[in-house]
Amino acid sequence: MIQPIIYFLILIAVSAVSGILGALVGLGGGTFLVPIYTLYLRMPIAYATGASLISTIATSSGAGSAYIKDKITNIKLGMGLEIATTAGSIVGALTVAFMYSHHLQYVIYIVFGLVLLSQVYIQLTRSKYELPKEIKPDWSTKLFKLYGSYYDVVLEKEVNYYGVRWWLGETIMFFAGFISGLLGIGSGALKVLGMDWAMNLPMKVSTTTSNFMIGVTAATGSSIYWIYGYIQPFIAAGTAIGVLLGAFIGTKILVRITNKSIRYIFSAILIFLGIQMVLRGLGYGF
Amino acid sequence: MDFNDVIAYSLRVGVLISAALLFIGFMLLLIEGKAGYYSINQIASTASMINSSYFNANTLIKGTVSMNPVAIMFLGLVVLIATPVLRVALGLAQFIREKDYIYSTITAIVLFNLLFAIFILPSLLHL
Repeated sequence: MIQPIIYFLILIAVSAVSGILGALVGLGGGTFLVPIYTLYLRMPIAYATGASLISTIATSSGAGSAYIKDKITNIKLGMGLEIATTAGSIVGALTVAFMYSHHLQYVIYIVFGLVLLSQVYIQLTRSKYELPKEIKPDWSTKLFKLYGSYYDVVLEKEVNYYGVRWWLGETIMFFAGFISGLLGIGSGALKVLGMDWAMNLPMKVSTTTSNFMIGVTAATGSSIYWIYGYIQPFIAAGTAIGVLLGAFIGTKILVRITNKSIRYIFSAILIFLGIQMVLRGLGYGF
Repeated sequence: MDFNDVIAYSLRVGVLISAALLFIGFMLLLIEGKAGYYSINQIASTASMINSSYFNANTLIKGTVSMNPVAIMFLGLVVLIATPVLRVALGLAQFIREKDYIYSTITAIVLFNLLFAIFILPSLLHL
């Protein structure tokens, strides 16, 4: 009787830590969760990604309710990009179902590791400023009403902004949705990249809007994971509760922490886990 | 009450209901030591054979009525999946009310994608 309780507590603890890290960088927590589950708890990758994907919704909805109040999340922007992420998620989830049924799990380990490592690059090369450089509005700015404003507590002023290159953002979002369905993560970093780099939006808007979007993306993929049996009730329950606790704590910290410190901590962990995932996929230890 | 408050509130309530169901399911599992034909050790294991592929709407409702711990956990997960769907549906209502046609259309497409994945795709795949 003690065994199941300990196992449940381990699941909660691991996912709470992942949830905190995830909320800090606008990710679903799955980025850290899946490697820890598969590498250290020896969980089958299908169950790890299933629990991760479904608990991504908990991060998104849990933290999302707080962000809506701050009025930083741009709902129109997020909703528009969801067309691509949900479509991508369906394709990604069906692809991974094909791979698992053909015993190609090792491919997923390698892809997962590479995605982790590529996010390091994204983190380090991303613009070092809170606010993007000004680019002229284009046709999509007007058509899709990509305007907004929010109060920035760090800069202590009201920030007016607008987005450009909607189509480019949309393209990146399809890919982000695909990765989300394929790997069972929120792929928030890619979503942030799509908004911050492609659409030239402020960091805070990208992060919070990404957080809103990962829930809808993950819900789409989760239903496909469900029918293929990648969701194990005990594991998913512990994970969802843990991630929710972590996200709750993470949201409290987000307002106070600066972007730079988030990026360094984040990058170090990503490199470590990324290398291990690739090695596991190639059949070396771990 | 502002519309955004309604959305924020319903998200929070959805997540809390989900977490409560997941926790109740876990506690019931501990108390009973089994769920249906499966022992707790078969369920609480990394390599467990019990997963979502055995649970559809039908078995879920039956299981919940008979207080099957695993069914209650799954119900919690269903509620969790439903929160973003509700979020999008409320967004659609908001855009229609504001007579924002571009965003009403966009949100309708997103909602379609979601419902397609949840309800139509399973029957297309014959699972």
